[in-house]
Amino acid sequence: MGVEMNTEQAVRGAIQAHSKRVWRFGLALSGASDVADDLVQSTALRALEKHHQVTSNERLDSWLMTICRSIWLNEIRSRSVRKAQALSVTPEVELIAPGPDSETNIFATEVFTQVMQLPEAQRETVMLVFVEGYSYREAAAMLDVPIGTIMSRLSNARQKLKTVMQHDAADSAQRSGK
Amino acid sequence: MKFSDETLLAYLEGNLDETEARAVEDAVTDDPALEARLMGLDPFAPMVQKVFEAVPAKAPVVDLPAPVQSQPSGGPFRLFAVAASVAVLAVSATFWATRPEPLGWAEQAAIYQSLYVPDTIASLDNSPQALDAQFAQAEAQLGRSLNREVLESLPGLDLKRAQVLSFKGKPLIQVVFADTQGNPFAFCIIRQGEGAPAKDVNLAVLSGLATATWAQDGYGYMLLGGNDQVDLDDELNILAGAFTG
Repeated sequence: MGVEMNTEQAVRGAIQAHSKRVWRFGLALSGASDVADDLVQSTALRALEKHHQVTSNERLDSWLMTICRSIWLNEIRSRSVRKAQALSVTPEVELIAPGPDSETNIFATEVFTQVMQLPEAQRETVMLVFVEGYSYREAAAMLDVPIGTIMSRLSNARQKLKTVMQHDAADSAQRSGK
Repeated sequence: MKFSDETLLAYLEGNLDETEARAVEDAVTDDPALEARLMGLDPFAPMVQKVFEAVPAKAPVVDLPAPVQSQPSGGPFRLFAVAASVAVLAVSATFWATRPEPLGWAEQAAIYQSLYVPDTIASLDNSPQALDAQFAQAEAQLGRSLNREVLESLPGLDLKRAQVLSFKGKPLIQVVFADTQGNPFAFCIIRQGEGAPAKDVNLAVLSGLATATWAQDGYGYMLLGGNDQVDLDDELNILAGAFTG
């Protein structure tokens, strides 16, 4: 290739472009928004330090997510886990943007709570696939597990989310029946 | 083995027995097309996505050290930008000379796009590295995600390039695709700013190209086919669903 990529500039661009999704992933990993703040900041600095490694076929968004997860697992998890467990009992529902009506808000709160109360492995998988739109195989590569594991984690998560959806469907039926 | 949508939906809802569920999972492992189908049918994904997409409400503040040295004028970004602005400038100049009415961004972009021929895009470098860099740059300019996964999986279209343009000082991103015959196809997004009016999808032929335009939540969108006969329905459904705000 005749043209040398300016990797630092690309990484800086990617950090700005993907800071929200890295933060969300940090929230899913840790269960706490202050830890998510720290994770985004550490991820950005680490990515910048490693910018000249960006020559492979990796996408920068998934590269950032992988860095975030590795910082979480290797450096922060052990000291945050007690806090995360405490918080996962009462997830920070105030993070959800208010919807157009109170029913929407109740439903969103239930979904948010249910997702945040999933076990960590399911939670990170749900975040990557359902929220960030990575394919099963992309998520499998990022989390370093077989694709079948991704699918079974999602199946388990769906079983728990199903109860929220059924409540909501029942509520709507009740309302429209009146 | 072939699975019906019904079977896949039953899998997603947890209504298959263990053997049947395992058969679906095994098949997906070796079949990305089946995986995409299954993901498209999942009723849980959009529900969870909707709740989390606005979290956090504002992009987190990231404190980065200043660049160690400012880059000299090189780099492919600059080349793209220069090439693009020269092209837009040339087209605009010609157009302004022949027509006094001010044009909207969509008309301008359609004129620019109408100059594309299969050869324009045939030799573009769409390696993952090139696209990574282009998307990072484009998303940084635009201030939002370009949903690259969606753009990469549009049926029958091969993602070729994302390019940063500008219209009246507003960032305008042009994403170019090749259809199965190598004809250019494009999707453009412009940041119009908060308070810009939302517009429903409008189909029109502009500069000899079939187009669909719409606007929502401060962004304008346009899909452009390779000629005036192209049916944009399939792409439009996917993109209008993916770019809702």
